[in-house]
Amino acid sequence: MADRLLTFSIFRYNPITPEIPPRMQEYQLEETMGMSLFIALNRLREELDPSLMFDFVCRAAICGSCAMLINGRPGLACKTLTQDMPDRITVMPLPVFKLVGDLSVDTGVWFRHLNVRTEAWIHTDKVFNPEAIEERMDNPTAQAIYDAERCIECGCCIGACATANMRADFMGAAFLNRIARFMIDPRDERPMAQYFDVVGTDEGVFGCIGLMACDDLCPMEIPLQGQLAFVRRKMAQMALKCARCK
Amino acid sequence: MILQKLLAKSPKLETRLELLELATGLMLFGFLQFHMFAVSSIILGVDAFNRDSARMDEYYLSYIGIPLIILALIVHGLVALRKAPWKIQEMRVFVQHSRRLAHLDTWAWGVQILTALIILVLAATHIWSVLVTWPIEAATSAARIQGGYFSNFVLLIVAAEIHAMVGLYRILVKWSWIHRKKFTNYLVYATIGMVGLGFLTLLVFYFRSIPKGLS
Repeated sequence: MADRLLTFSIFRYNPITPEIPPRMQEYQLEETMGMSLFIALNRLREELDPSLMFDFVCRAAICGSCAMLINGRPGLACKTLTQDMPDRITVMPLPVFKLVGDLSVDTGVWFRHLNVRTEAWIHTDKVFNPEAIEERMDNPTAQAIYDAERCIECGCCIGACATANMRADFMGAAFLNRIARFMIDPRDERPMAQYFDVVGTDEGVFGCIGLMACDDLCPMEIPLQGQLAFVRRKMAQMALKCARCK
Repeated sequence: MILQKLLAKSPKLETRLELLELATGLMLFGFLQFHMFAVSSIILGVDAFNRDSARMDEYYLSYIGIPLIILALIVHGLVALRKAPWKIQEMRVFVQHSRRLAHLDTWAWGVQILTALIILVLAATHIWSVLVTWPIEAATSAARIQGGYFSNFVLLIVAAEIHAMVGLYRILVKWSWIHRKKFTNYLVYATIGMVGLGFLTLLVFYFRSIPKGLS
């Protein structure tokens, strides 16, 4: 296996030089033991083409920077071993997010914008007392919150989502998962009607057409089908019983 | 937030439309399977078929059911159209996305749209041709199928069953009522079974000569 010569077909485009149209460029590299796509890209840049742009930070599936389309499917370069791949590997940047150049996209602005839009923080009137003993939370709730919090905001679910690809204002699984997390958090005092206003719409949970590519391709294996359904059910309940809602 | 969006946005309406799509979808799914079993009574014989038809007439089931189903078809179609990729760019994005991703569920949505368009045309001609030769009798049905409607029905049965089963799958997945991977197999078997039953019914109608007097 280690003697393979791998061919990488990599998407190249730099918005700074729009006169050069987007293209696929091929590179060849000898496979080494335990090689990940992350290692391969670094070697390509060091040995063959210093102009190649891509993002990485942690190389351990924690930071979520190196998400890209690997043979058409979103995944983390650091978590993808070349031994699991065919001889020919196509690499493209994630769709939906702003293209910085080659394989590099700006997921930060997108996530920041949605964090603000969904007010993804604890809403409470209680004044924090640093002297007091921390309030307890029952274990199942804490576990459920933790499960959703494992999201590293890599953007794979967004890149894999047909609705997010077609419609720029769709929140996508990452945010619906995040909202589910606040819905179950006992510290968050937001009434359900307030969530309803933000996610009970076609830009929110009802934009989801249930293709479940997010669930299939999440590198952190967060149970997104269940998370999306949880939000969907809560919103349906609101629509049926909320008299004050618009 | 921008003014026109602020004013036009209505979570309540958008959620209710989604629930309407769900309700009409389930209703049409139920109707389709009932309809397939009902017409398959021809396999048991001409008398069985005519008796079923007459009974539904007698209890006014046809006169309440048929308008309701037509209404449900129209409502379901209109509500489901909200999500379809109508702009040429959206359509190209969806096709390119599906080809890159090579993901069965994503392709299945394309199949949903395609079968919906087939049903739109063929179900309309089907309903029309039944209503103009009212009441439903084995002889008129056989005459229709032997008289050139055979290929229409082959396509309609396949399109309707696939659309219904994929639709049911999508509903169950979206509301998370099932374990996705396990359930897929059952739905594939059910689709094959129902299409098989439909074809058998069609063949019986096609090869059986039914004199008008028997009805």
